[in-house]
Amino acid sequence: MSREATTAGGLQRPTLRTETPSYDDAFDAVVVGAGLAGTAAALTMARDGLDVLMLERGPAPGTKNVFGGVLYTPTIRELVDIDGAPLERYVAEKRFSILSSDGDETAISMRPGAWRDEPHNDSYTVLRRRFDEWFAKQAVEAGVTLVTETTVTGLLRDGGAVVGVTTDRPDGEIHAPVVVLAEGANSLVSEGAELKERPERDAVAVSVKEVFKLDRDTIDDRFRLDGDAGAAYQYFGEGAVGEAVGGGFVYTNKRSVSVGVVYRVEDAAAGQTPEATLDAFESHPAVAPLVRGGRRIEYSAHVVPEGGARAMPDLVHDGAVVVGDAAGLVLNSGVHLEGTNMAVESGYHAGKAIAAALADGRSDAEALAAYARDLDQSFVVENLRHYDWFQRTIAADRQFLFEDLPRALASAETEYFKMDRASKDEHTGAARDHLVAAAGGWFGAAKRAWRFRRMLS
Amino acid sequence: MNDGWNIVVCVKQVPDADDVTIDPDTGTLNRSDAPAVLNKPDHNAVESALALRDAVGGTVTAVTMGPPPASAVLQAAVAAGADGGVLLTDRAFGGSDTWPTSLALARAAEELDADVVICGEESTDSSTGQVPPGIAAHNGWAQLTYTESLDPRPDEGVLVGTRDVEGGYERVATALPVVVAMVFGANDPRPAGLHRKIFAETEFEPVQWTAADLGIEDRVGLVNSPTKVGGMDTASPVERERTRVDSVEALYDHLAEVL
Ligand SMILES: Cc1cc2nc3c(=O)[nH]c(=O)nc-3n(C[C@H](O)[C@H](O)[C@H](O)COP(=O)(O)OP(=O)(O)OC[C@H]3O[C@@H](n4cnc5c(N)ncnc54)[C@H](O)[C@@H]3O)c2cc1C
Ligand SMILES: Cc1cc2nc3c(=O)[nH]c(=O)nc-3n(C[C@H](O)[C@H](O)[C@H](O)COP(=O)(O)OP(=O)(O)OC[C@H]3O[C@@H](n4cnc5c(N)ncnc54)[C@H](O)[C@@H]3O)c2cc1C
Repeated sequence: MSREATTAGGLQRPTLRTETPSYDDAFDAVVVGAGLAGTAAALTMARDGLDVLMLERGPAPGTKNVFGGVLYTPTIRELVDIDGAPLERYVAEKRFSILSSDGDETAISMRPGAWRDEPHNDSYTVLRRRFDEWFAKQAVEAGVTLVTETTVTGLLRDGGAVVGVTTDRPDGEIHAPVVVLAEGANSLVSEGAELKERPERDAVAVSVKEVFKLDRDTIDDRFRLDGDAGAAYQYFGEGAVGEAVGGGFVYTNKRSVSVGVVYRVEDAAAGQTPEATLDAFESHPAVAPLVRGGRRIEYSAHVVPEGGARAMPDLVHDGAVVVGDAAGLVLNSGVHLEGTNMAVESGYHAGKAIAAALADGRSDAEALAAYARDLDQSFVVENLRHYDWFQRTIAADRQFLFEDLPRALASAETEYFKMDRASKDEHTGAARDHLVAAAGGWFGAAKRAWRFRRMLS
Repeated sequence: MNDGWNIVVCVKQVPDADDVTIDPDTGTLNRSDAPAVLNKPDHNAVESALALRDAVGGTVTAVTMGPPPASAVLQAAVAAGADGGVLLTDRAFGGSDTWPTSLALARAAEELDADVVICGEESTDSSTGQVPPGIAAHNGWAQLTYTESLDPRPDEGVLVGTRDVEGGYERVATALPVVVAMVFGANDPRPAGLHRKIFAETEFEPVQWTAADLGIEDRVGLVNSPTKVGGMDTASPVERERTRVDSVEALYDHLAEVL
């Protein structure tokens, strides 16, 4: 058939376009990183009518993510309908456990009935690979343009103001009035562009994590779970992280269990390797049976900011804002390990502030300052401030908290419940002596109780 | 042919090989879990098409046959630099094996007035390598399979291909139109430019052609596919019989006995 004949037959010809249009200033904002913070910001801006370009270096959002983890959803639920989200299990049990390096464990476990009811205290285990992809899809459906496999390599400046980004692609510069830096804890772009300083060593923790595949039934039986109920176990003491300061965790997914440790980079630099630390934790007699027989399907390592409010960089610049882990927004207080909720909250406030500023035709720091102000008044910065003391206090008391206390508790338990022919009264006295001795006498115990009172306040 | 060549590049959507698993019970591929991506060897086809356009001028049109989501691979081709794309999509194509698939692509190439059709060596999910020769056969065009590199002679209307053959290579000059299958890894596919990628993923839209548009509605689909899959099986390693002997003499005796 000849070309003329088919055209006459009405077959539509493809439009051929050799020249490439320029997208400089076609978007109101460029978001660097499609994690929780970036997607929350992009979604918020799109809902406010902005054209948003979100750039992600991974082949899909979530593929580069490392995370325990429990996703905290109070803000996400306001942004999207999470009923369709790929959640693994809701957290029905939290358990805090102290491990000595001699194999002792002392634990406290809680399963409030209220957590079984919707919305399950807004705490769910998720696999970030699936969740982040779903979350980003909600943003795309709201109009965001997501471009993957594209790494942002730097920022474009005009005078002092940020006016766009450079990427690793050919023809890789793109201009936009506002850039949202949502690149996570390893924030090379923000640091390279001097929007923030390289974090001090004591403001960063290292973490390694493994995922073990197990049958759903095995997990339900081992952790005493039903239906969608899940468990979040946190561990402290020398048996969890050896000579370091930090903790371990075990979280249940539907058909897998995540196991990991988080501890100071300082300890890693001093020679305690992540692999050895994780190995030791996984072979502790209190932990090993939880993952026995599981097939290792994933191994990953990441950094966690833990500098608290002190280490927060300037959040707002001319033409740019910093959100989520890139802004150091992680709370690690021992009892709480939260970053997901803070990432989403910060993305939301940033998105709102950018939309308001652009509506006034502005993108300078002063116009964007509402973001910093709103975040400052939210739970995010309030919590970071409240727990600022924690890391330093815990590091100063490492010997007691990580070595002496776990052993003393075990000895006290052994004494208190001892079956022999001595009286209960004698056992109680002996148990008390172990604890008081470890705490540095009655005076030392009182001092410590005072120092750590804020942990639960 | 002063305004360059009409170059058509055939691209196929396949499940991401990194994510495909085999169900140990049924022996079938679990394709559904795996995200669909551009067949790896087709990146080499796209690169050859673009390089050819750079050399002789003209246009590159990407064509794929598949369900509507397959337009993602047209986007990938356009992001890399192809000028436009055609999606051959129709319920009637369902169940087509290599014969109707190559017929549909051959008809599309004819519609596009192709001077050169470039394909990948084979697909990563079916890997028959039959489609490129199939296209050539249906149209009665020349073909260059296992091609390492292309050397266009636009003034003579000739395309010279270097083919990988046993013990060396051969150079073959063909008249146009010609169907080329590039060797997997023959070249270094260029990365998509940022603005081109944004264009491909936001503004570019392929045209859609049906089987009836191509006049082949009665010649495609499962019933017109000569290949039938008789069954699937997984091969399990055979347990070998083993005997331990303690000395060379014992081994000799044993061998003499079993032989
Ligand atoms: C082991 C571990 C356990 C944790 N457990 C918990 C927990 O139980 N509960 C909790 O609430 N929090 C937990 N956190 C913290 C939580 O994971 C983070 O606070 C949260 O993921 C921060 O989200 P974000 O969007 O700021 O950054 P990220 O989730 O890190 O996302 C950043 C994104 O940006 C992309 N990116 C980075 N650089 C570039 C670039 N240059 N160009 C393009 N894209 C780029 C990345 O690929 C990534 O997709 C844990 C963290 C770790 C490491
Ligand atoms: C034994 C066997 C039985 C099969 N039975 C069936 C069946 O019953 N039903 C069924 O639906 N399928 C069946 N298939 C799959 C089907 O034959 C092929 O997927 C399809 O015809 C393309 O063949 P291929 O993937 O082997 O392509 P190849 O010949 O290996 O591909 C070479 C090149 O041709 C081009 N190409 C191939 N396919 C396309 C396309 N769709 N669009 C654009 N370009 C393309 C690409 O450039 C590719 O690199 C079967 C496959 C095999 C091996």
